[in-house]
Amino acid sequence: MAQLKYAYYPGCASQAITKEADITTRKVAELLGIELVDMPAANCCGAGLLKDYNLELHLTLNARIFSQAERMGLDILTICSTCFMTMNTARKELAENPELFDKVNRTLRETTGNEYSAKVRVKHLLWVLRDDYGFERLKKEIKSPLTQLSIAPFYGCHILRPSEALGFEDPRDPSSLESLIEVVGARAVDYEGRTLCCGFQADLVNPDTAIRMTARRLEEAKRVGADCLLTPCPFCHINLDSYQEMAEKKLEARFSLPVFHLAQVVGLALGLQPEEVGLHRHLVSAEEILR
Amino acid sequence: MATKVKFIIKRFDPELHKDPYWQGYTLDVEDGMTVLEALLKISTTEDPTLTFRRSCRSAICGSCAMTINGYPRLACNTQVIEEFRRKGEVVIEPLKNYTVLKDLMVDMTPFWNKMERITPYLVPSKEPEDGWKITKEDEKKIDRAQRCIMCGSCNSVCNTQAVDQHFTGPSALAKAWRFVGDVREKEKRERLLRLSSEHGMWDCTRCIHCTEYCPKGVEPLEAIERLREKALTEGIDDNPGARHVMALVDSVRRVGRLDEAAMTFKTLGFLRSIGMIPFGLKMEIHGKMPHPILFPVIEDIEEVRKIYKKVTEEEED
Repeated sequence: MAQLKYAYYPGCASQAITKEADITTRKVAELLGIELVDMPAANCCGAGLLKDYNLELHLTLNARIFSQAERMGLDILTICSTCFMTMNTARKELAENPELFDKVNRTLRETTGNEYSAKVRVKHLLWVLRDDYGFERLKKEIKSPLTQLSIAPFYGCHILRPSEALGFEDPRDPSSLESLIEVVGARAVDYEGRTLCCGFQADLVNPDTAIRMTARRLEEAKRVGADCLLTPCPFCHINLDSYQEMAEKKLEARFSLPVFHLAQVVGLALGLQPEEVGLHRHLVSAEEILR
Repeated sequence: MATKVKFIIKRFDPELHKDPYWQGYTLDVEDGMTVLEALLKISTTEDPTLTFRRSCRSAICGSCAMTINGYPRLACNTQVIEEFRRKGEVVIEPLKNYTVLKDLMVDMTPFWNKMERITPYLVPSKEPEDGWKITKEDEKKIDRAQRCIMCGSCNSVCNTQAVDQHFTGPSALAKAWRFVGDVREKEKRERLLRLSSEHGMWDCTRCIHCTEYCPKGVEPLEAIERLREKALTEGIDDNPGARHVMALVDSVRRVGRLDEAAMTFKTLGFLRSIGMIPFGLKMEIHGKMPHPILFPVIEDIEEVRKIYKKVTEEEED
């Protein structure tokens, strides 16, 4: 089998606040023999906010990222659901709008000397593990199955919707996280909030709305007996982990639910130690449930 | 050949019951039968008290929106067999985020109130002497937004509305864009100012439920994005939502990426940022505070700045 190799786009959050997701992804990739090539000149995808400001600017800056990956001859791998959604919706918009596509490419040629040829594909780590590497193959690599854990899979929004642009799985009945949880030897719990919103994009705009959403998601997971959550998105991680204390205050409840990044769960099952996957960086400690 | 399909329907009559309950019915279903046809069959042959709204049977009137196997659908254009194959049964509930009047019928009053709040009709400016010239492009901009049949599906799955009943909501915001985006509209600025206030367009958290589940392809989220873009173009930016976007726009131009610390400061302003200090300290202890000064700049940042300059200057021409 040819070696898996990607242009690696961790996204802004995982280069700062959720650095542990980036650190762990690199270690997991190395253990699995997946080659990640850095993109030091790649810009922020805009997380949708750039689109609120200026649609054409948003598309041009995304096309700049795509053109860099195309020159590397690689597909993009990201570990952020929001980057995944933003880039894939930009690809779709460019594909459906030939006039804008030409305009964006004119700007790109003039400012960078490069072009976007609509060849690149943008994949999330979850997608790469499921489809490119393969869950069956991953299962054979598991060294320390996480048999003691009942994990609430938290898909959130941007790895599922809009499905027309993402083409990953049916947003009504997703199962990839549950399958992954089974692969790492843990038990997946089913709950209402798994495909709902963590509230992140309202954190600074309307904190009350944001925290209410975060609190509901945690409460839903707690109610069905989960002892932790798993999310493929660093922004969801910020709300579910870093804002958990605020959510507890809002509902006057106690959740104490550690939240794992996708790569961390895989890393632990591959035999990495808690500090190697950066668990000490989380605000909610996972020490007790991993004991 | 007919297939035996189990329908599980959420029943509730507030005059008779304290809580909703589930009731099951089994029907022989032929290929091509819609959920609405199944409901009509149940109500005529098994249980005349089963209550639901319906009218046109052609996905035009918007009456029969309900929650089918977890998500909002128009009963009249949902195939029973498809849902049966997906879930092994057909679970039918009223739309979420609304008060139930009886069985599958919800109180649409809040929906209409929200719609009324955005002035759902054209306020025309003076027609030019040689008449309006409306290009294909002008029409295309608002084409999707005007497909809305007011079925209420999007509001029923809106994550913001679920925690804030005063939120204007995706349906009314899509309708608002239909008029703000209309070349003949006179009060664009006034509309955008109103939409920029509390519970308005900036409260959407981009969960993309509305666009995903709209049965008519209205794409309310895209309408919200265009409303926001228009408001910023008009310089209506004195609110946290607009400041948040402008902080990101600025951060990407400056360093090529999103600088969370600077965004917090710019969105909240100095005084409210002080309130974030205890939280910031906790983040710092866990190594989660991005360094405000040493924030790394991407390679070839000049390219990004040139793109900004070219795109935004061209638009001013």
